[in-house]
Amino acid sequence: MRQRLLQIVILGTAVVAAVALAACGSDGSSDSSSESADAGATDAAQEEFAAPTVPPEDAQEGGELTVIAASDVDYIDPGASYYQFSYMVTSATQSTLVGWAPEDVELPTPLLADSEPEVSEDGLTVTYTIRDDVMYSPPVDRAVVAADVKYAIERSLLPGVPNGYTQTYLADVTGIDKAIKEAQDNATGGAPDISGITAPDDTTLEIQLDDTSSIGVIGALSLPVSAPVPPEYAEEFDAENPSTYGENGVSTGPYMIENDPQTGELTGYTPNKEIHLVRNPNWEASAADFRPAYLDEITIQEGFADTVSASKKVLAGNGLVNGDFTTPPSAIKQAATEGEPGQLTLTPSGGNRYIALNTQIAPFDDPDVRKAVIANANRVDLRNTRGGELTGPVMSHVLPPEFPGHDEAGGLEGPAELDYLANPEGDPDLAAEYMKKAGFDSGKCEGSVCELNMVGDDSPPGSDTAAVAENQLEELGFDVNYQKVTHDIMYTRFCSVPDNAPQVCPNVGWLKDFNDGQSMIDPTFNGDNVVPENNSNWPQLDVPEINDAINEAKLIDDLDERNQAWADVDAMIMEQAAFIPYIWDDQANIQSADVAGVINKFNANWDLAYTSLKP
Amino acid sequence: MARYIIRRLLWSVLLLGIVSAVVFVLFYVFPSADPAQLRAGRQANADQIAAIRESLGLDQSILTQFWIYIKGVFTPLDLPGTDSHGPLYFGRSYQSNADVKDVIFSDLPATGLLVFGAVVVWLAVAFPVGIISAIRQRTLLDRSTMITTLIFISAPVFWLGLVALYLFSKDVGVFPIFPGIGSYSQADDFLGRVGSMLLPWAVLAAATAAIYARYLRSQMIDVMEEDYIRTARAKGLPERRVIARHVLRSAVTPIVTLLGLDVAVLLAGNAILTETVFNIPGVGAETFNAIKRSDLPMIQGITLFGAFFIVTLNLLVDIAYAYLDPRVRYR
Repeated sequence: MRQRLLQIVILGTAVVAAVALAACGSDGSSDSSSESADAGATDAAQEEFAAPTVPPEDAQEGGELTVIAASDVDYIDPGASYYQFSYMVTSATQSTLVGWAPEDVELPTPLLADSEPEVSEDGLTVTYTIRDDVMYSPPVDRAVVAADVKYAIERSLLPGVPNGYTQTYLADVTGIDKAIKEAQDNATGGAPDISGITAPDDTTLEIQLDDTSSIGVIGALSLPVSAPVPPEYAEEFDAENPSTYGENGVSTGPYMIENDPQTGELTGYTPNKEIHLVRNPNWEASAADFRPAYLDEITIQEGFADTVSASKKVLAGNGLVNGDFTTPPSAIKQAATEGEPGQLTLTPSGGNRYIALNTQIAPFDDPDVRKAVIANANRVDLRNTRGGELTGPVMSHVLPPEFPGHDEAGGLEGPAELDYLANPEGDPDLAAEYMKKAGFDSGKCEGSVCELNMVGDDSPPGSDTAAVAENQLEELGFDVNYQKVTHDIMYTRFCSVPDNAPQVCPNVGWLKDFNDGQSMIDPTFNGDNVVPENNSNWPQLDVPEINDAINEAKLIDDLDERNQAWADVDAMIMEQAAFIPYIWDDQANIQSADVAGVINKFNANWDLAYTSLKP
Repeated sequence: MARYIIRRLLWSVLLLGIVSAVVFVLFYVFPSADPAQLRAGRQANADQIAAIRESLGLDQSILTQFWIYIKGVFTPLDLPGTDSHGPLYFGRSYQSNADVKDVIFSDLPATGLLVFGAVVVWLAVAFPVGIISAIRQRTLLDRSTMITTLIFISAPVFWLGLVALYLFSKDVGVFPIFPGIGSYSQADDFLGRVGSMLLPWAVLAAATAAIYARYLRSQMIDVMEEDYIRTARAKGLPERRVIARHVLRSAVTPIVTLLGLDVAVLLAGNAILTETVFNIPGVGAETFNAIKRSDLPMIQGITLFGAFFIVTLNLLVDIAYAYLDPRVRYR
């Protein structure tokens, strides 16, 4: 009892200290040691609430877990699912060629494949050998063959299977352009043939490339698109646009979404309400499959719109974990101060958030003005709008913590030579110097060029970030017109549409697709990827040297060399001062006291195939 | 009478047509998030987005889209590019591809149970409170009940819901008495679902009961000043009989009208806050999700469905009035 009291006191002191530290950041004072202090505090928090990545030795088999979620998965069809919460489901229900075990940070582990993929000497052929003992759930009830993976990838080109990443990362696969055209010309004519993907026998899958982009291809095939799909069963559903395979999908993982065993129609999925996972009767534990699958049933209960009360329910309840929402600050505090040890975990999400400055429009077409804005920004204040120190360290460059290339790019401290990033609490004097360099003699912006349009979120925490950014810009003399819209409108009508993009987009950010610099940097800072709509290069950065460096890095197939190349590109991007970096998000996950949760570091969320209930 | 009903029916159809047009303009013409981009995912290219736009029918002109929509809602004609037809075909959800009508109908039982239970609660509270306040007007009891009702009217439903949860729910409450958030979905049988509604009923009923109590009080005070009430009392009728048979009967008529409309509005998805706070999978929660995801067919379907409810109940009330009061028919 006394020990418990001591724990609470220590935890409470740590949180109070953290809050005090965060508060110190808001007084505008300049402190050169604050970044390392922040990094130190973040390290302490990381240690205190480290994510468990291995199950307990006495992990109990059986029982039912309930996942509390605010919304639904983006797509129930593994061929289209793209986001973190969907991966939480597919990692338990599907067997991709390679998969991310809880501790995997740099490389995934073979799953459907029986070993690492082999890349030919010339780097143009990737070969997977498929296990012959993986079975589909009812009603298909047969072993998976290599041709099923070929079909799974091909169907992802159909307009009725809106996959958001295949065409990007598999762009160098031989014959894919022809297949894309074929699919678009005949949306209900079935999956098109990709000539570069072949299955010479039941256990061999060969992928022919036109260029040496094997690492990007292998990375993309660690995602659910490589989960096998039985053509003889799925073709009927894929002939519809949109495909209805998702509502009738079969599984190859330890769990399956409950279905009618005769027809295959999912009975355990009600959009926006519930996903009910039961054990796949055709799955057997084997040394080749890293998933222990302790639980008997998993119910994902959706619709908990108020994440504060949902978090309280998880913390006070039994057999519950959070699903798609990150724990709000008040619940983090409650878990840290009142919860049992282990109820709160913090995991780097592999994502970043920044305020994009439109480099194509005045006044931010002038690098000195951009540097002034970054120098003046109190990035600790901006970070605190997301919930303070426990929600992640202040971002100092692109590649996030625990991500390949992060350390090479400067670690938490970031690039030391860039003075405008040196003080995360802002440096008004330095900002004034840059403004003078840009031709504003007073050190502040003057004239009509200083009228800025900013389009940001209309609800917290995004609107809080935007409001702080607005204040900081006005300190430098800018006149900000802050237009508040929903998050989706902000992206799809303004910030992701270059013709409508304002000078400032305060609520943008990026989460990795897989653990390689390409998935963090290519879509977001390559000038070749500035497109008329759905644009993710929000600062519209288009510097030929950077574009070339990115395009070259994508083709490097030596891992160490590649990570260094991405770190170098990261440094080149930061020199452009195209955005105000303010947070590398940590994902705060919570569980009930009787749950022995295991976090999957790749997905920064609970790994349902490793989590168990305490005995 | 028949002519009156036909006239009212035609007006109702016209009204629904106007509502359809307004709803369509609101959601399709005015800026909202681009459903094709949302559906395509963040790395989709222009061709993929165009293909999705085509599959959703968003590549067609606004007028064509509107005509297809009207055809689906009001006529049994075939719809191009689908194997579906109307009437009452609101389209398919952008997010789940489910038939909007099926989703609404699957959500109705939860909303129905919430609304009808709440009606029972608010009437059970409003009538005694209203009657007692009217009879004992200007007493301490009257003033304190009226102040209390004012507080409940002023309290936002979501706030009241959260307070109720944090005080009395079994999962997050200080006094764990009633089933908490999401308990409706977890209930195995009807009794369990009724149990899960106890707190939501209280919350949804609180503000409405307060309004009805004040309204009933005011109606009764007016009626009590009528000559025929004075006559009834002068004839020596017992006070209880005067109140029950004469005052209450007259005062309650406008409340019945109000009740019809309130029930229609709540069934149409206006219990959105209560359903969201307690995670009840009803029409209101569906509306909330649809708005969050820019799921236009779903938003549109629910709105039109709600309008249909309101217009229909309004029509029934008007017909009932016309039946009871012949002057209405000739107006």
